[in-house]
Amino acid sequence: MNLSELQLDALGELANIGSGNAATALSSMVGVPIDLSVPTVRLLPLVDAVDAAGDPAEEVFAVLLPVVGDLEAHVVLLFGTADAQTVCGLLGVEAASEIGVSALCEVGNIVGTSYISALGAMAGMSLEPMSPQAARDMLGAVVATVLGSVAQDSDTTLFLDTDLVFEGTQSSISFLLVPQAHGVGELLSRLGLGD
Amino acid sequence: MAETMVRMGEYVSSGSSTDVLVSIGLGSCIGLALIDRRRKVAGLAHIMLPDSSTRSDTTAAGRYADLAIPAILNDLGKLGAQRSMLEAVLVGGAKMFALGGESLDIGARNNEATRSILHGLRIPIVAAETGGTNGRTIRVYLDGIRVTSREAGTQEVVIYDRRTGSQAA
Repeated sequence: MNLSELQLDALGELANIGSGNAATALSSMVGVPIDLSVPTVRLLPLVDAVDAAGDPAEEVFAVLLPVVGDLEAHVVLLFGTADAQTVCGLLGVEAASEIGVSALCEVGNIVGTSYISALGAMAGMSLEPMSPQAARDMLGAVVATVLGSVAQDSDTTLFLDTDLVFEGTQSSISFLLVPQAHGVGELLSRLGLGD
Repeated sequence: MAETMVRMGEYVSSGSSTDVLVSIGLGSCIGLALIDRRRKVAGLAHIMLPDSSTRSDTTAAGRYADLAIPAILNDLGKLGAQRSMLEAVLVGGAKMFALGGESLDIGARNNEATRSILHGLRIPIVAAETGGTNGRTIRVYLDGIRVTSREAGTQEVVIYDRRTGSQAA
């Protein structure tokens, strides 16, 4: 997979609108304003992709949202341990409990679904998010497993990532969209930027 | 001790007793250690996918079990390891998320492919920590050759130690 500057810019703009939509939905769910980092779009060799997502040994709470339809992809939300507690606190539940896990899944669901529906609307693609799944594990294990399921036919991967920052706290969630390689070409051609 | 990171799709061999080979955060991936304990040579491959049959052009041999194992055997041979003395230790191959059906359980397919290739090569698997739903980290200590596995939030566990003999797989 090779992408031009123009194609990367267009994907960056999609990521910008998608994550803006996601931040608005998350903000109304937790009741505090959400700030966004500028989304980054990176085409990475697979071997570098795990390190690009963070420290592989860090224990994180991860919510995974598979996306099917015209574009197959995975949405991954990564919460540091303290961040998971902050988010659960905002929702009035205890992080280290079954209800805490289900609350974080719901955060993943709302953030992922809003992002995906904005992306689908802009690109004219039908995209359907599946039900969210949670894991508490090493960041490296989560990200590598996601890459394993999208990377069979590619030596590179596209990472669209952004940080959702809870205003007034030190907490943030890392949001990652990892599309399957052949889907990226389709996405670009829908935008009129195909090869 | 110098830790050498063996990232996704990489493989590293060493004959230096101060080396430690590490793959952090194996989810569905497999960390395969191959050890010649008499020659004190060992290698670690961080395998991501079971087979390369859908790829004709890949430059990343280490990513696929069917290409990574011959490649690391070649490197181990250059360091003086004897094929007939090699022992294998497997860590990883977890099912962290219930993605789709059984065919999408890449952890199980990696585990199966790796075991079947080793079987075909008559390399015994002397210890393994595979399957389950948790990610793991593998460390291969060239000093006295030991292999450990560690899950998030738990202690590092020795699963292979040439001084005490190893557990059955």
